[in-house]
Amino acid sequence: MKQNYDFKIDKIKNLSSEEISLRKKNLDLFYQTGFPNKKDEDWKFSDLNSILRNNFNKIVNNDFLPREKEFKIIDQFEHNFISLFNGKLISKDFSYEEKNKILINNFNYKDNLVLDSKNSLYFLNNALATGGFSLEISKNYKLKKPLVVYNNFSNSLKEEIVNYKNSIILNENSELNLINYINNSSKENFMVNILENIKVKKDSSLNNILINNSKCNCYFYKYIKSDLEKNSNFENYFLSSGLKFNKFDVEINLNEENSNSSVFSALNLINKEHQEIKTRINHNAPNCNSYQKVKNVLNDESKGVYQGKIFVKNIAQKTDAYQLSKALILKDAAEFDAKPELEIYADNVKCSHGSTSGSIDLNSIHYLKSRGIPEKEAYQMLINGFLCEILEKLSEGKIKNFLKEKLERQINGY
Amino acid sequence: MKTEDLKNNKDYKYGFTTDVENVRSPKGLSEETIRFISNIKKEPNWMLEWRLKAFNRLKVLKEPDWQKPKYPKIDYQDLYYYSAPKSASEKPKSLDEIDPKILETYKKLGIPLVEQKRLNGIAVDAVFDSVSVATTFKDELTKKGIIFCSISEAIQKHPDLVKKYLGSVIPISDHYFATLNSAVFTDGSFVYIPPNTKCPMELSTYFRINASETGQFERTLIIADKGSYVSYLEGCTAPMRDENQLHAANVELVALDDAEIKYSTVQNWYPGDEKGVGGIYNFVTKRGACRGKNSKISWTQVETGSAITWKYPSCILQGDNSVGEFYSIAITNNFQKADTGTKMIHLGKNTKSKIISKGISAGNADNMYRGLVEIKNKAINSRNYTQCDSLLMGNKCGAHTIPYIKNNNATSTIEHEATTTKINEEQLYYCNQRGLDQEEAVSLIVNGFCKEVLQQLPMEFAVEAQKLVAISLEGSVG
Repeated sequence: MKQNYDFKIDKIKNLSSEEISLRKKNLDLFYQTGFPNKKDEDWKFSDLNSILRNNFNKIVNNDFLPREKEFKIIDQFEHNFISLFNGKLISKDFSYEEKNKILINNFNYKDNLVLDSKNSLYFLNNALATGGFSLEISKNYKLKKPLVVYNNFSNSLKEEIVNYKNSIILNENSELNLINYINNSSKENFMVNILENIKVKKDSSLNNILINNSKCNCYFYKYIKSDLEKNSNFENYFLSSGLKFNKFDVEINLNEENSNSSVFSALNLINKEHQEIKTRINHNAPNCNSYQKVKNVLNDESKGVYQGKIFVKNIAQKTDAYQLSKALILKDAAEFDAKPELEIYADNVKCSHGSTSGSIDLNSIHYLKSRGIPEKEAYQMLINGFLCEILEKLSEGKIKNFLKEKLERQINGY
Repeated sequence: MKTEDLKNNKDYKYGFTTDVENVRSPKGLSEETIRFISNIKKEPNWMLEWRLKAFNRLKVLKEPDWQKPKYPKIDYQDLYYYSAPKSASEKPKSLDEIDPKILETYKKLGIPLVEQKRLNGIAVDAVFDSVSVATTFKDELTKKGIIFCSISEAIQKHPDLVKKYLGSVIPISDHYFATLNSAVFTDGSFVYIPPNTKCPMELSTYFRINASETGQFERTLIIADKGSYVSYLEGCTAPMRDENQLHAANVELVALDDAEIKYSTVQNWYPGDEKGVGGIYNFVTKRGACRGKNSKISWTQVETGSAITWKYPSCILQGDNSVGEFYSIAITNNFQKADTGTKMIHLGKNTKSKIISKGISAGNADNMYRGLVEIKNKAINSRNYTQCDSLLMGNKCGAHTIPYIKNNNATSTIEHEATTTKINEEQLYYCNQRGLDQEEAVSLIVNGFCKEVLQQLPMEFAVEAQKLVAISLEGSVG
């Protein structure tokens, strides 16, 4: 049985007839399969179709009229920001930076981003997306302060889906610390579907962090496609506990020599939360490194999934690729599934993965209790130590402290 | 490939054909073929019905296509499903009655068929094309109450046991190749170990595909009753032909309370030539059920042959405290492809499983480990440890790992490790320095890499397997 939905392209204003027909084509492609289900190998562990069916009556597309413009700015550290409401770019502030070095615009749907994905959510996004931004950093410019992207979602969103696309380009020798901040605190169910295209050019470095402010009933999907040039660096941190459903689908193409990429994730899930990190790292050139570390703490009836794939092309000699997924399962109804994949065609490489899942070490709990620490605190301490390790590589002190604080709140309850 | 060429090809020493007259079933897959097989085996009616049920099921099933090694479409109507040496249509009563040519073949293969070689202490059931040719050491086994015979014989003499267990681990509706086997299986071995009996010797089956245009579909069923133990060996070879031949066997193991089954395979089907022409498609379904408490099933496999190996010997750990083990070496060279691994399904409490997989690829080969470890919600205090290591030689081959890991309760632990590397240059250099040539050095290092698995094999087979490892990699280092 398919999910009940009603998507209307005519809700989107100012479209040329050409665009309308293209969008209709994509919507038809979506209708052929509906939302992905477990028959699809990539969605084996996360049957989105049945998850949505159990939680939504009917899904409609959002009409993109932001109904409020107020949001709370993070005050722990100085930063530039852009703010989106339901995907639409509302305001921006780059007062810490030099002028004309940063180009920010609404996403241009004329030069649509084309991904070779067969995923039905990708077609749905093509059909319904509006809003989003495109960001370009000039050559040789390193941002002085981090950039926070406030992804605000109206509290009035109810059984609606928001689709948008972003594009981020770092030109040669530039640097950016990017924090995606998801802001919503309503109790209503809604869905978000984002496609993001990232280009990290020669000698550039991008830190991409994602965190949310509080618990919300958001069903979130984000597909990130990134291409890395020579000597570039791309780090990802996903700290998205609190979203009801989440799937990060990350594709990283290491296209030229000496580039580095990493994916870190720390999640503490409760109730029926369901989150998945899916990565595909393509080593297309020699001497590149990739590193992935995914940690999950699973309470109640939550489910954590990690699907990671490392692909090493035959010319990509001297590749160093690593995957590690660890899960602490605290309740019998919780579940952890992993599929760490290696596909290797070059011989002079170092590729390995490890995956463990199990319960918390009761000896450690006993040790802490014998020193007068109550059981609940002992658990929190161990979980904290387990998850916060993810942030160790982060160099920016203030951001690190901010994330640590957030993570602790996620562990100890909002 | 001409016969002349075949003779000159020394890489595969089992590549000869034996010239014996064959009895064949009508060509193609049809109800007629199934009736023919059932009839020639003088099977009771319930067996024929069972086969036909599988055949009906097969009509709606589709061939799976998710595997990594792709192969040209198999024309199932262009195969003979039954081929037997003419002299075997009347089952020989003693070894003297067996066609001397077949005995000669087995002698070439090094199988101690003739009981003079009883010092080896291995009871052998030899399967030539589609029929079981001879079973040795029968008397000694019978004294202990152990049944070791061909499955056709078991269907006639022990129908209750066969009825009870056949298809209970691999149901007839399982998947395409398993169902195909259920419909047309021709022979195979049957083993029953009575309660509290330790089988005094290794039991062994040797499979040989001889005739051309035939598929081999054998079925093995091993039942270890309460408190018993058996160690079973399986070896296989085939002549060199430039056509691909299909081998789709089913192996079912059942271990009851406190029983243990150890199943070892040395698979050396013809792998095709250096250009990837010919070779066996080895699409085998092997599954064991640890039904009873404290039962144990251990799979060991050394996979060096076949153009395509596609199999996942699995354990269903139903009984509390049951144990499943899987040790595997898969070596692929030239254009060979392997997609192999295991499934460990934990259902009972305190169940344990261990997986050690070593993959080696050279030439243009592709080697894949694919496995599932699933700990169900009720399987509390269960444990799994998985280690899969791959070794690559050259940059034209591939090594892949796809583990599926599912943990569904808070008291169970799963650990998984995998590495992919090439042969350490320093180790090679060290060996060269001490006077070993390149090939000897590689064979030494690879044998060391595989040691954990080779140790699991019974002694005689371990020696053979070590040699096989070295032979399979000949010419892969330049």
